[in-house]
Amino acid sequence: MGVKFEPKILAFLCKWCSYASADLAGVSRFQYPSNIRVMLTMCSGRVDPVFVMEGLSSGFDGVFVFG
Amino acid sequence: MQVVGHLLEIAGIGRERLQLRWVSSAEGQLFAEYVTELTQLILGSGSLDRERFKLPLAAAKQALQAPPLRWLMGMEKQLTERENVFHEKLEAGSYHLILEQRAEEEYQKALLCETLREGPKTVRQMAQETGLPVYTVSLRLNHLERSGLADVSGHEGTTFKFKLLAA
Repeated sequence: MGVKFEPKILAFLCKWCSYASADLAGVSRFQYPSNIRVMLTMCSGRVDPVFVMEGLSSGFDGVFVFG
Repeated sequence: MQVVGHLLEIAGIGRERLQLRWVSSAEGQLFAEYVTELTQLILGSGSLDRERFKLPLAAAKQALQAPPLRWLMGMEKQLTERENVFHEKLEAGSYHLILEQRAEEEYQKALLCETLREGPKTVRQMAQETGLPVYTVSLRLNHLERSGLADVSGHEGTTFKFKLLAA
């Protein structure tokens, strides 16, 4: 394989906890992989199991939920 | 999330493709660490072959929309810690067992629905396409028939063919 496989990952972030921590990670310049695509939710409890399947069937290789 | 994990596992997609972590707003470092660690994990599992898993993906999604399963999800505290009107409680173990069994059942039914979407099929054809045992196909098909989702559409020699009724 010539090109290295870069997984596409869907990340659900809670507005009040993990989104703020992602923000902090950015501001503090902590390095982390750029494979995640962030989806902001008002609460991680809002993430319906169906969203996960929808993500996987529409092109993502993995789904993370951060609360 | 436990149910989705179980479904991903029985569908052969892999439980590790869904990850849940707790990060507070003060833990930027932790967030970066988790993303690094989990991305490595997905990297190890490789790309998800959407063509190959088309049927399981669609079925898992449909199963998660099934009302009986949705009613059960997130009821753990209610059913295992609080009593019902008869002062009966469920063991945590039996609650998880019921949840997983129900999820598997809904998944298998959804799998059959998905294969029948392409047109009428015999039980053996369905078993071959879904990879389920013939007996399981018959059981789930019986459920679908009774709930008015499938019916006999004709014969192929002496074998019945089944079709999906408009849901």
